[in-house]
Amino acid sequence: MLFVIEDTINGILMGSIYGLAALGLTLIFGVLKVINFAHGSLLMVGMYVAYWAVALTGLHPYVALLIVVPVMFLFGYLLQDIIIKPIFKAEKDVREPITVIIVTTGLWYILDNLSLLVFGPQYRNLQDNPLRGKMLEFGDMMISVPKLWGFCAAVACTAAIHIFLQKTRMGRAVRATSLDRDAASLQGINQYKIYNIAFGIGTAVAGVAGVALVPFYNVFPSVGVLFDIKCFIIVVLGGLGSIGGALLGGMIVGVIESVGPQFMAATWTEAIVYGLFLVFLFLKPSGLFGVKYDW
Amino acid sequence: MSPSLARKLPLVLAAIVALALPLVLRSPTYLHILILLYLYAYLTTSWNLVGGFAGVLPLGHATFVGIGAYTSTILSLQYGISPWIGMLVGAVLASIVGVIIGLPTFKMRGAYFALATIAFAEGIRVMTENIDTLGPFQINGPRGLQIPPLTTGFASFMFATKEPYYYIILAMLAGVLALTWFISRSKLGYYLVAGGEEPEAAQALGVNVARAKLIAMAMSSFLTAFAGTFWAQFTLYIHPKSVMSLDISFEIAFIALIGGRGSIAGPVLGALLLRPVGDFSRIYFGDTVPGLHLIIFGVVLILVMFFQPRGLQEPLTRIYTRVVDRLAGVREAA
Repeated sequence: MLFVIEDTINGILMGSIYGLAALGLTLIFGVLKVINFAHGSLLMVGMYVAYWAVALTGLHPYVALLIVVPVMFLFGYLLQDIIIKPIFKAEKDVREPITVIIVTTGLWYILDNLSLLVFGPQYRNLQDNPLRGKMLEFGDMMISVPKLWGFCAAVACTAAIHIFLQKTRMGRAVRATSLDRDAASLQGINQYKIYNIAFGIGTAVAGVAGVALVPFYNVFPSVGVLFDIKCFIIVVLGGLGSIGGALLGGMIVGVIESVGPQFMAATWTEAIVYGLFLVFLFLKPSGLFGVKYDW
Repeated sequence: MSPSLARKLPLVLAAIVALALPLVLRSPTYLHILILLYLYAYLTTSWNLVGGFAGVLPLGHATFVGIGAYTSTILSLQYGISPWIGMLVGAVLASIVGVIIGLPTFKMRGAYFALATIAFAEGIRVMTENIDTLGPFQINGPRGLQIPPLTTGFASFMFATKEPYYYIILAMLAGVLALTWFISRSKLGYYLVAGGEEPEAAQALGVNVARAKLIAMAMSSFLTAFAGTFWAQFTLYIHPKSVMSLDISFEIAFIALIGGRGSIAGPVLGALLLRPVGDFSRIYFGDTVPGLHLIIFGVVLILVMFFQPRGLQEPLTRIYTRVVDRLAGVREAA
């Protein structure tokens, strides 16, 4: 029984990091109405930035946030501004522009293989960082410290984005654009700037997830693919566009992945996650917290 | 010479060149590259029935490749049934699965449909990797199935040289192109295009959009499974990652989108452009610049979406007709 509790806790912690990775995806979808297939690659870029920031300067892994967040925000902002915006403009009157989805798929291939080109295929990890393999012990239970910090980061990010969207002027503009981009434009909101900012924030959050992962996870060019499909599943579970839903969806997936192996072969848990995803897609495509009309 | 005849003549020439090519080209490497090129042109043309004409974006067609490959291989390994019969059984099975997938997913919009097809395909791949025996059938999980090359010949769908494979896939490609041409001029083709562009308007005119899409899906998965059997007999070794991977589904979609989805020439043009780029950059830069061909794919995809969102077939057909007309001495119709 203790195992199950321990696994559940670790599942929730790891799942919240999945949720953190998916948070950016759901934010970008909420505003642009585009599923960003390159999101896993953005996470991969974030992990590399974090890795090099720590490996080259010897900083504490979490201090790297100060470098990663601005770099990733700028990266996402420019990516949207230079590559995605022109295509968006060409398909102005389509609500869910499919060409933009295709372009993000192209970006995914480019980013993953560029990093293979530049950094090579080897797995990298931060060998002697203070958090590696660190555990908290509660009686017989062991809880991973870097995952616990990842959980804190996920909750903090979710709260911060929620406050940003609800309480600030800019957040209100983002929500208005998300509801109706044309009406928002008529109110004097520059919708393309909002897209850039939403994409920038989404990418920066992927960067935070990268920082949370780097102390205990390997960095390699195709690491994003591992998270990509997981992120899609999480945002559909939680409801595409729902900020809190991403965190909850992530935890659900995390718990299945970590408790499941107690009862079946570990590889089967993946099939269960896909099955759950499909069930949700058919029965309640708007997810746990999604809005009905977004379907 | 009438303009329509002049425009068809080069196609006939291309067909003759394709038929005669193995007589001139003796290198197995080049034949291998050509066979895979035709195979992808075939796969993409089959995909195009759903992804092109019906206007949705399925990203899980590798499932049907896998079903075709596994069905014929299991039947021939364990029951000694000729792969040609297994091919048909696999195709029927694939179209049943296609309809099962299509029934709930066709109700979904753009991105949701793409995600659902990915989830289906990946779910089926993961299950295949986890199952060793399914009832009486030996699947072998992640180890896959090896086909021992014992008897070569037409009945066993196994050949010592590449030429027979070349002609088989060429015939399959010609067949699927003819079928697409026929469908695009049939009632079903118009229903599909109408339902893909304006589902509500088409429905208001009495078109049963859902039914048309399901028929297209059944045909598409049926044809895709054929390619799976061909793949298995060509490589003689299949495992879930080789015949059911997401990469196959994405490459098919890439070729269609770059070539031009919803057109007959698009998939063939896309395969003609992309496959050689991929193969040759792998041959020449594979060890120095790994993944270069995928970067090129990505860049080409973005550029095409940028400048020719309907794919490269549009400008290329325009140039083609102009050149042919000029050569044939036809004045542009006023």
